[in-house]
Amino acid sequence: MRNDITRRGFLSLAAAGGTLTGWLGRLAAHAADQPKAKSCILLWMSGGPSHLDTFDLKPDASDRIRGEFQPIDTSVPGIQISEHFPKFAKLMQHAAVLRSMSTVESDHQLASYHVHTGYHKRAGGVAFPSLGAIVSRELGSKDFPLPHFVCIGAGPRHSTRSGFLGPDHQPLDVLSPDRGTDFLEPLTNRIEFARQYDLLRRFDSSFHEAYRAEAARAHSSALARAVRLMTAEEKRTFDLSQESDADRDRYGRGSFGQGCLMARRLIETGVRFVEVMMGDGVGWDTHRDNFPRTRTLSAEADAGMAALIKDLQERGRLDSTLVIWMGEFGRSPQITSGGGRNHWSRAWSSVLVGGGIRGGQAIGRTDRDAAEVVERPISVTDFLATVCTILGIDYTRENHPPGIKRPIPIVDTSKEVSVISELL
Amino acid sequence: MWRLPLAAIAGLLFCQAPEAVRGDDAATLAELIDRHVQARLDSEGLARVPPADDAEFLRRVFLDLHGVVPSAERAAKFLSSGDPQKRVRLIEDLLASPRFGEHFGDMWRRCLISPLANEQRMQSDRFADWLAKRFNDNDGWDRIAFDLLTATGKIDENAAVTHLVEGRYPLSVTDLTDLSSRYFLGDRLNCAQSHDQPIVEWKRQDNWGMAAFFAQIQTPGRPKVVYLAGVQDDPKMTLSSLRDADAIEGLQIQPPTFLGGQPLKTDGDKTHRVALAEWITSRENPFFARAMVNRMWWHFFGRGIVNPVDDMHAGNPASHPEMLDQLSRRFAESGFDLKLLCRAIASSNTYHQTSRPGKESDSEAKLFARMSIKVLSAEQLYDSLVEILGPPAKAPGIDTRLGARSEFCQFFAGDGDPDPTRYERGIPHMLRLMNSPQFAGRNVSALISRAEGNGRTADDVVEQLFLTILARRPTSAELELVRTQLRDSDALPQTVHRELAWALLMSSEFSLNH
Repeated sequence: MRNDITRRGFLSLAAAGGTLTGWLGRLAAHAADQPKAKSCILLWMSGGPSHLDTFDLKPDASDRIRGEFQPIDTSVPGIQISEHFPKFAKLMQHAAVLRSMSTVESDHQLASYHVHTGYHKRAGGVAFPSLGAIVSRELGSKDFPLPHFVCIGAGPRHSTRSGFLGPDHQPLDVLSPDRGTDFLEPLTNRIEFARQYDLLRRFDSSFHEAYRAEAARAHSSALARAVRLMTAEEKRTFDLSQESDADRDRYGRGSFGQGCLMARRLIETGVRFVEVMMGDGVGWDTHRDNFPRTRTLSAEADAGMAALIKDLQERGRLDSTLVIWMGEFGRSPQITSGGGRNHWSRAWSSVLVGGGIRGGQAIGRTDRDAAEVVERPISVTDFLATVCTILGIDYTRENHPPGIKRPIPIVDTSKEVSVISELL
Repeated sequence: MWRLPLAAIAGLLFCQAPEAVRGDDAATLAELIDRHVQARLDSEGLARVPPADDAEFLRRVFLDLHGVVPSAERAAKFLSSGDPQKRVRLIEDLLASPRFGEHFGDMWRRCLISPLANEQRMQSDRFADWLAKRFNDNDGWDRIAFDLLTATGKIDENAAVTHLVEGRYPLSVTDLTDLSSRYFLGDRLNCAQSHDQPIVEWKRQDNWGMAAFFAQIQTPGRPKVVYLAGVQDDPKMTLSSLRDADAIEGLQIQPPTFLGGQPLKTDGDKTHRVALAEWITSRENPFFARAMVNRMWWHFFGRGIVNPVDDMHAGNPASHPEMLDQLSRRFAESGFDLKLLCRAIASSNTYHQTSRPGKESDSEAKLFARMSIKVLSAEQLYDSLVEILGPPAKAPGIDTRLGARSEFCQFFAGDGDPDPTRYERGIPHMLRLMNSPQFAGRNVSALISRAEGNGRTADDVVEQLFLTILARRPTSAELELVRTQLRDSDALPQTVHRELAWALLMSSEFSLNH
């Protein structure tokens, strides 16, 4: 009897425990499914950095391929990167190096467009939205006074437009981080500006009433958002003079370093997507003198991204911020007679950091010469689907752009898409 | 099998003549337009909206034919004139001015030079000039298109090759095919995504058959040829001898083949491009005239008779198929006379309707019961600002080393072939318009000084500002609003006027072509 009760008690306890475990388990699993990343910083390496001289060194390749740089150990045993990324090497536990990017476009403009939008540019066809516009649209809140997509530095602007997502998701372009945002201050005093804006709204309202045009509404919306930015406290985020000289020095005083610093400030303010472009003009496009140029560029990139990652970590934002380092393609294994490397899209590297991913990994593998991917090829759509998943965006969701008859998914799913699950 | 849809289109066209149209003059064509639009409206039970008033028409026709708003003097004169023929006369004046060709040169530059190609854009002013001259001379569209398709030489010696080159390279065969098919034949052949599989299949065949015509201007080895020798046709080049042929996605090696499957019969004397251009611009080619009629219609009405404007195939019917057929036939028979086509469209009642919606705004726009509201292009915006405010002032943060207009247009232009009825500009554009001294600073003050001169009364100054900026007179409510502002605020009249000018320049009405 007693035994029975005990047994029954035990059984019911076990049952309850089981239920609890199951419920807790589901809760835990659910929590794990919830993406930690809320925002994203894309460090765009304009021109296409050489994968062989940054994150996929081939010390055993022949002289015509190996290049001048030595690999160094990182904070993760077994992962080596270029000696010119010493600061970043110490942060490898937060990062995943994707060594098997494999894409099809090897022209700068076409490739930039393809990598940013996930679709091929067709001269004047559909205007596809860039990743930043997608994130702004999917994660941004409407009542936030800054745009959710900010683009810092000079770079391939045609690749960073909101396309059919419209004016609400157009990036705010900051050409020079030292200058900040242009034209945030009215040409007149505040009182006059308020009065003339009020007058404008009164003229507009009668036009809107009579013509009821969508274009007029979009125009007024863009204007209203610009005026809101002018009057928002948050616009001081664009003013780097509020940072100490020591902090500014840590990031590097060039446009890229200062852009990284501004990116951190913007993310802290609540902006969802910041793109920092590195390499005004030719940038990483090292058809000649690959080694001296890549050395200089690497040092600049290393300082900016390492300072950014450290600061995000110290301020508790690294888990909620995905940082991407990439260009439009890699460079040819063969070194040319001018000491350069040409475009190479078949095999190249990108890096993901933070955002709650499993860090300390190198994913995919290229052959002996870093010419072909031999393990786990990652296409543009695989890559973007993975980034979306990390950010909690359903990449299969379809947009219905006006004037286009077919629905357009966030990531092109017409070919098989494979999310890099090792990161999640 | 895959030729069927094409045959169906061709059959629809010139083989049948439902009603013979005689008389080439624009008035006949305008009547034809109005008749077909009305017939469709009757069948849908939809009413036309009333005609546009003089001011709405004036600003619209200036923007559509000259790409710029009228001057205040011109606006005042037109609005005051009691001449019943004043709209027709205005259209004639506008067609006769060199601004006509310049505007259409701008438009076609935007089409033919990829917005992504920065280097080309720098060199594209001479390309736009070349086009402008041809349009002003009213050369037939067939001759202009033929010269564009077959241009040879270096960019600095022959501006007509500009759109065939990108950086140091000739444009790729795929891009050349895309440009030629979209702008001269009205359809995208590289459309890989469609729910209509047979159409995709015949398009793919047509695409590579057409691409093969452009292989002769590709460079086999290092891409220096375009720099040194310019665009040249090398008879030895074929699709299979292209550099990095294996890196061209989806490449199908085909001999040069015309749309519909007819292969090129080799003729040793002609380059492949000449053979293609002869075929494209032939009067018997149903696609060529239709593509241009549709695009010109799109230019004036903000949407094509077939919409999207470059999606003309059997799976995407026209809203007014007979009108499109007949206009295309007349256009071809006129020797592809573009001014005639513009004159016909601009003098039709359909073009003269207001853009104010009636009961069913969307259907009215789709069936041309009312005019659509279009967004000013970057060029229209810049030229209008200059017309109103004079040359731009220097502004920190705006790099005009490549020319102020060129920089402005690059900054304000959309990517691709934007839908002219969608407003796509964002915060940076608005901040720049509102707060940059390029136009909104001392240019506005100077405008106020001019308007306040000549001993004008307070109301006259306001009227002058409305005429200058919006090409119309203020309504009594607007006038009253400004009077109140002048009376009640402690600001000087000059300040109130400057605020008024700024507000009008930033208004939706100014930003749009209504």
